[in-house]
Parts: sequence; C-alpha cells; structure tokens
Amino acid sequence: MRTWIIGGALAALALGSPVLAQDKVKLINVSELSGAGATAGTNWKNGIDLAVAEINAKGGILGRQIEIVHYDTQTNPANTRAAVQRAIDEGTYAVLGPVFSGPIGASMQIAQRAEIAQLVGGEAANLTAQNNPYIFRTSLSQTAAMPKLAKALANDVKAKTVSVVWVNNDFGKGGRDAINAELAKVGIKVAADISTEQGQADFAADAIKVKNANADAVFVYLNEEESARFLRAARQQGIDKPIWGETTLLGAKVIELAGDAANGVKGHVGLSVDAPVPGLKDFGRKFREKFNYASDHNGIKGYNAVYMIKWATEKQKKFDKKGLADTLRGATIKVSEEPGILMDTVVLKNGDLDRESFLAEVKAGKQEIVAVLPPVGP
Amino acid sequence: MNARTDFAAVGQGAPRRALSRIDPALVSIVLAAAILWFAPVGMGRYGTYVLTLWLVMAIAVMGLNLTLGVAGLKSLAQAAFMGIGAYTVGILTAKAGMSWYPAFAIATLATFAMGIVVGFPALRVRAHYLAFVTLAFTSLVWLVLRNEEWLTGGTFGLSNIPRPTLFGARLDDALSFHRFVVVVTMILTLAIWWLLRSPWGRAFLALRENPVRAASLGVDVRAYTLLAFAIGSAYGGMAGALYAPLVEFIDPSPFAISASFFLLLMVVAGGSGYLFGPFVGALLGVVLPEWLRFTGGLYLIIFAAIVLLLLIACPKGVLGLAEMLWARAARLVRRTP
Repeated sequence: MRTWIIGGALAALALGSPVLAQDKVKLINVSELSGAGATAGTNWKNGIDLAVAEINAKGGILGRQIEIVHYDTQTNPANTRAAVQRAIDEGTYAVLGPVFSGPIGASMQIAQRAEIAQLVGGEAANLTAQNNPYIFRTSLSQTAAMPKLAKALANDVKAKTVSVVWVNNDFGKGGRDAINAELAKVGIKVAADISTEQGQADFAADAIKVKNANADAVFVYLNEEESARFLRAARQQGIDKPIWGETTLLGAKVIELAGDAANGVKGHVGLSVDAPVPGLKDFGRKFREKFNYASDHNGIKGYNAVYMIKWATEKQKKFDKKGLADTLRGATIKVSEEPGILMDTVVLKNGDLDRESFLAEVKAGKQEIVAVLPPVGP
Repeated sequence: MNARTDFAAVGQGAPRRALSRIDPALVSIVLAAAILWFAPVGMGRYGTYVLTLWLVMAIAVMGLNLTLGVAGLKSLAQAAFMGIGAYTVGILTAKAGMSWYPAFAIATLATFAMGIVVGFPALRVRAHYLAFVTLAFTSLVWLVLRNEEWLTGGTFGLSNIPRPTLFGARLDDALSFHRFVVVVTMILTLAIWWLLRSPWGRAFLALRENPVRAASLGVDVRAYTLLAFAIGSAYGGMAGALYAPLVEFIDPSPFAISASFFLLLMVVAGGSGYLFGPFVGALLGVVLPEWLRFTGGLYLIIFAAIVLLLLIACPKGVLGLAEMLWARAARLVRRTP
C-alpha cells in the first residue's frame, strides 16, 4: 500500500512539475486545410508531421520533444489572422505557414509585431519585399525561378515568341508578372497573354487561343488541377509546340491527373522528390510510406520548415524566439550539418532562399531531371 | 428573452406607453455593449480579435437583415457592399493617407448610393429573380476588385491598412480597437432599433408582408424599397470599413459570392427579422467554428452538421425557436392554476 502511495505521489509530482513542460517545445502550423488551398496546405502539413515524427524519434530539439498543433485557415485572410494570433497567444516557438500568399499577407504583421519567426510556403514575389525581418520562405521565390526559365526558353528552345497561360490569383498573377519581365529581358515576345480562373473546368477556349497565337513555346502557370485540365485540352487541340512550366506543372498530382497529356512537358522545378538528390529521394520514399501518396513541393517545404527551425535552434543553443529569426537571417544551412534540410540552402537577409534547382521533363508519366541549375547567388 | 424583439412587435406600443416604460431591447443593447466592453479582459489577443470580428460581421448581417428579414428583399449582394466599404477605406487610408473617419463616411455614402442603384431592379423583380440580379452584381464587384490592380492591388490585395486614432490616441492594440468597434456597433444597433420603431420600420414591414396592400395604404413602395436596400447596403459598407483596419489586409477573396451566401446563412440561422438575430447568426458563423477547433480536423464537418440540424429544427432561426419556446412556457404558466 505504501508503495502505491509513494508511486502515486511521485506520479503527481512528475505531472505537476514544470520540468515536463520544459521537455516540450510547441510549434503551431497555420495552413490551408480547407477551402481553395486545401491541396497545398495538406501537403505542407503532412511534410511538417513527417519532420516532427523524425525529430522526436531522435530525441527532439536540444532534448525537447516537439508538440505540433495544426490550425486551419479555411484559405481566408480573416481566419488566418485569427489562427496566427491564437498560435502566438498559445506560445508557439515559431509560426509555420500559411502557404497561399493572400493569407500570408493578412497574418505576417502579427508575427512581426510579436518578433516571432514565420516560415511560410508562399512563392509570390512581394512577400519578402516589405522589410519584414521575421518572414522566411521555404522555397525559391518566383523572382528567383523565372530568370532561370526565361534563359532556358531563350537558349534551349530558341523561342522568339511565347504564349503565357496563367491563373488569375495571387500565385498566378505574381508568376505571370515575373515571367513576362524576364522574357522581355532575354528578347522573347509574349504572343498571347491568357488569364484563366481558379477552379476553371473547361480550357478548350484557352487552348484554341494558344493554338491560334502559334508561338514558339507555351508557358503554363496554373494550380495543380487546372494545369492537368489545360494539358488535356492542349493535346485535344493538337498543340505540338513545347509546353513549359514551373514546379507545379511538373508535379506528381498534375502528371497523375493529366495522364499521357503530361508527357513531353518541360520546366523548372524548385523542389521535387524525383530530383537526383539523395535527401529529396529519401524524403519522397518516407513520405509515400507514411501517407501513401507522392508528395508535391509543398510537402518538401513543410518538412524543410521544421528542419530550418531545428538547425537554427541548435545553432543558437537555446529556445529564443527572436534569436531564432536572427539566426536564420543570412544563414547558410548545409546538408552536412543538418541532413533534414535536404539541399544546401542560403537564407537571404530578406527571408528569400537561394539554392540549386532543376530542369525537368515528363517522360512516360514520370518526372525526369535533365539538368541541375546552380544557385543564383555566388 | 425579454429582449425578444420581433420587428412585428416593435412599434406596436403607443408613443406615450413607449415613453412611460423602458424598452427591454434598448436596455439589452446598452447592457450588451457594457459587457462586451469588458469581455476581452483576460481573453488574450486571439479571443479579442474573434470577438471584434464577430461584431463586424454582425453589422453586415444587420444590414442584410433589414433588406431581407424586414423588407423581404432577397439580396445576395451584401458581401459586395462589404467589399466596397473595405476597399474604399483601404485605398483612402493606406494609399491616400486619409484619416479613417472621413474614409468611413465616404464608404457609408458610397455604399448607400450603390444600394439605391442596385435597388432599382428590386422594383421590377422579386424573390429569386432579385437574388440572381444581386448575385451578378456581387460577381461584377469581385471582378473589379481583382482585375483593377492599379487601384485595388488586384489579387495581391492591400497591406498595412492603418487603424483609426481617437483624440490622438492610436487604436493599434487589440483591446482598444475592440472597444472602438463595440461603440460603433452599439450606435449602429441603436440606429436600427430606432428605425424599426419609426414609421419607416412599419413601412418596411408592410412591404415584406404585402406590397400591394402597403401601396393601397399610401406607402410609397418605390421609395421604401430603395431605402431598405440603401440602408442595408450602407451597413454592409460600414462593416467593410471596420473589417479593413481589423484585419489590416484585404484581398478580393472575402467578398466573393460564397461570402454573400454565408452572410445570408447568418441572417436565417440567427432568426430573420429579429433585432438580435444578426448577433446570434454571426455568433454561429464566426465564433462557433473557432470554438469547434478543439475537435481538430473534423471541426468544419461538425459546424456544418450543427447548422444543418439547427435549420431543420428551427427554420425561423435560433431566435424563432427561442420565441416559440417562450410562448409555450408562457402558455403553460397561464394554464397553471
């Protein structure tokens, strides 16, 4: 009986002890788990879950286990702001997400005011142009990717004219503005500038416009499902000009949905599980084993975000929220130091990233990397 | 429940009687404002933000409640008016550097004027045909907000929208801005309370119940239809004018067609035509999903199920159900010897 009493007292002491709270570090992810951004947000969340499980299994960060919480934004700016505020009120060590640029724009001031690092999945160029020292990307921005693409179109395709098909949301419009500017720099004329809608089902009219423009190449910048629909429509209209795109167009989901229509599509890929990089391939395998489907670039971004936090915390040797952002800004994270970062990554002062990327082609229903492109910076 | 203020009941008392006793609705409004003034203490910034968002949405729903619940005009344009109000304030304060107060006045007047313009079709078409016309208007406004990038920021939206100042003091922190919104909401609720007790309110009701009979009794159907639309729209605009500095960022997505449907749901779920229906409706639409977050990934399914069951159980909304239960209880008490 006495053993039970002592045991019970010890258990109560342990439960009530502040040491237990010290054993954990809370990370809150705020992402698009419903609404228009659900596909991207769910991949991002799964990438985070995979990284957290791995890190916890290996003893956590500086001996502390990660406690991960996910909040849905409904892809709505007002709800995103509520969720990010809640995350900060609940003492998150850093804010993870969101992925879509609009919700990021609505919430980044709160993390900035609280002096907490916010690691986001957004690629729109304007996010890191607002002098916010607490925002960090987890992938290349559109302004980093588009010069590489424009050069490839000029040098490899020898295109003089290009038709640009884009989705009229913050992602597509940002990409369209960036590629048009870069195409102009390399002397390529935009033969047709075609705006489409998010969630658009029928792309026959757009494919006919592209066909009639008869440009040397087609540049497609749409979300996943729309990319697949456009590719099918383009093939039905008999468009035989090279079709190029950026990361999304060559994603696993697009290839799966478009079927044979995706074959022959080329483009620039920032992050891909098919890249000839051991870390990325390994990540792709683990992700498939855990979630039973292939991760897109958003899954890799979420995974990277957690490892960026781990690396910076171990670098500063303490859990200091402001210090985390200070450590990340201007950092160079090498795979040799932190394998979870997957590729050597430079975090620029404004929160942008610089690292290698890839030129890829879809062959027989699979993405194949045809060239590795060096980082933009020295 | 004594704040049960079916608009049909409002204004039934003779002026002398209204003066001789204090209206329970009026007491409720002032009391609720006092509670909401202190409510966020200890709630944290998140709780305060959600409370403020609830009040802002309640203002928009109040406007739609006037158009739909009182005057019986089925409008799906309320999100568009909210968008016009939000963008007017966003552009004038963030881009042109104007103070919030004149920007708010311009947003109110602009949406009032737009309400009159959109109200014209309501003179010719009714019921779901009117809903279609207003739906088209919402789409049109959304397209302008998205495509006119030089003015509205397009899909990238407008960032860093400043919050108002009051007598030189900044209202940047969550609690100060919440209290500011509480005062504005109280004023706007009192205005609606007064309006519905006035002959105008009774004319709106007549319009809803039987436009032909209303016309035969000398109610200017054209003027009152336009007025109902314009006032309802102006409330949407005022809600937008508060939404922009609350979120400090606006893009076209919260003002799309789906948002109009959601506002309509709040009117119906809260109790269409009741003075406090918009507050209950907005509570269901804004606060309930936040409360349900503890259920994890299932929270939106549970939310949808609750709303569905609620509307099956009480088609007249929460306040309709409450009124019915109140009446039954009163009957029971009367029967008891």
